[in-house]
Amino acid sequence: MTETKRPREPFAPWDRRALPGLFDVDETAKRVGHYKWVELKLFEALGGWVATVPELDVKMRLGTHCYHHAWHADLFDKRLPELREMKTDRLTLPANDHMVAFIDAMTEPEEAAMTIEKLVGVYRVLIPHKIAAYTYHRNATSEITDMPTVRILDFILQDEFNDWREGEMLIQSMIETEEELDRAMIHQTKLEKLMLAAGGIAGPGSIGDPYVEIPEEN
Amino acid sequence: MRKIFPAEELARDGRFIRQTNEQRMGDPRGARIAGGNSGDRLAKLTPELANGPDRARALMHGIFVGEIQALEGAGRTCWDFEVGEDVPLELKLDMARQCWDEARHCEISVALAEHMGTELGEYAENALLYEAACNPDPVLRLTGVNRALEGLAIDVFNTMKEFGNMAGDPVLEFCEDWMLADEVTHVKMGSDWLRRLTENDKERLDKALEFQKVVDRLFSFNGFRGEEDDSPIQLTRRFRELAGFSDDEIDEIADMSREARVEASS
Repeated sequence: MTETKRPREPFAPWDRRALPGLFDVDETAKRVGHYKWVELKLFEALGGWVATVPELDVKMRLGTHCYHHAWHADLFDKRLPELREMKTDRLTLPANDHMVAFIDAMTEPEEAAMTIEKLVGVYRVLIPHKIAAYTYHRNATSEITDMPTVRILDFILQDEFNDWREGEMLIQSMIETEEELDRAMIHQTKLEKLMLAAGGIAGPGSIGDPYVEIPEEN
Repeated sequence: MRKIFPAEELARDGRFIRQTNEQRMGDPRGARIAGGNSGDRLAKLTPELANGPDRARALMHGIFVGEIQALEGAGRTCWDFEVGEDVPLELKLDMARQCWDEARHCEISVALAEHMGTELGEYAENALLYEAACNPDPVLRLTGVNRALEGLAIDVFNTMKEFGNMAGDPVLEFCEDWMLADEVTHVKMGSDWLRRLTENDKERLDKALEFQKVVDRLFSFNGFRGEEDDSPIQLTRRFRELAGFSDDEIDEIADMSREARVEASS
């Protein structure tokens, strides 16, 4: 036995992490697979758009952000085998068909004159929904049993917040007329409707359910 | 957004001027750095040359537009091919990483061009580099872009780094050295993927190496890149070896350059 001043608790007084979390291993793997699918689709689109965007600063930002989301896809891909899914492609799936429709609509703009639509889809719709879903997951999962996912999400969220801010500033700087503002809003509404139908990037329950179930009275 | 985006539609603002390679090489201001070959003008790029600084300015502008196209090409490789069906995920991750690197190179080279007193659009752009990035076979695309063109970038950046050293310009030397490190990484990516994806496919390997030669020849510009003392761009053996080139392959590029010089002078 080693001599110590006094015995200590296994958890320091300031360490309030709790064992239970909302997701079991299978549910976590399923969600991580959906996140990976979204990151994959996003980095592919950002890379593809670089050649189609004439604004030099936007072109270079898209190239930078393309890598951020590729790295996120890689982090999620590496997490899947740790969640008992050795064939990672099996879970690299969209949450549902509505999510596929969302990505199809988001990646549709190609013309050089449609930079606003491209940016709005990513920075005003998809990334805010990713931040919401990742934050929910990060806060709802067990910080002890699932700390590797929490750590990954913390890194990723840092990127997401930075990219969101940069993208939003690019959009604000590009909207100079009411007509451009209308274009942005119309496209955002169209995509938000698709995301609403999808229920979020991981499907219904992407950010949990805050409503209270009230039993019907007889 | 469609797959395979044509070079003629590359999006640019009004400052950029698109020309054919022949037109661009006919620009007397900086032509002999990046092309052409006549006895009186071919010389290693040094600050002491009467038109050395102007050549370096023209070359830096060429590097900048080349970096934009390299960024666009790597980005398209992320989009044009499907994971699993066409390419492994890891290849796309490499291309996304290259996007970030090329975006930084755009930032570096446009800042350096300004540092050297050059305005954006002062020299014309051709789309040769991006055209190599339109090959529908990902192996050929990576071989043409990452081994041939990024290999050329190794030579160009090393030459510019030496130019910065000779000119007493630490900013230029510092930045070129950093970009050189990235280029070695990109060429190595090309070498590694060529080996991995053609491991059991000799025919595809041969086709890819042939495509690399075509691109190398296209960018030989009458032998401006070589090992002769007066080669404007010096072939850089050491860094190419680090990036996965064999001695035979480097010899072949040097020979190609010599042949191009002889052909041009005759």
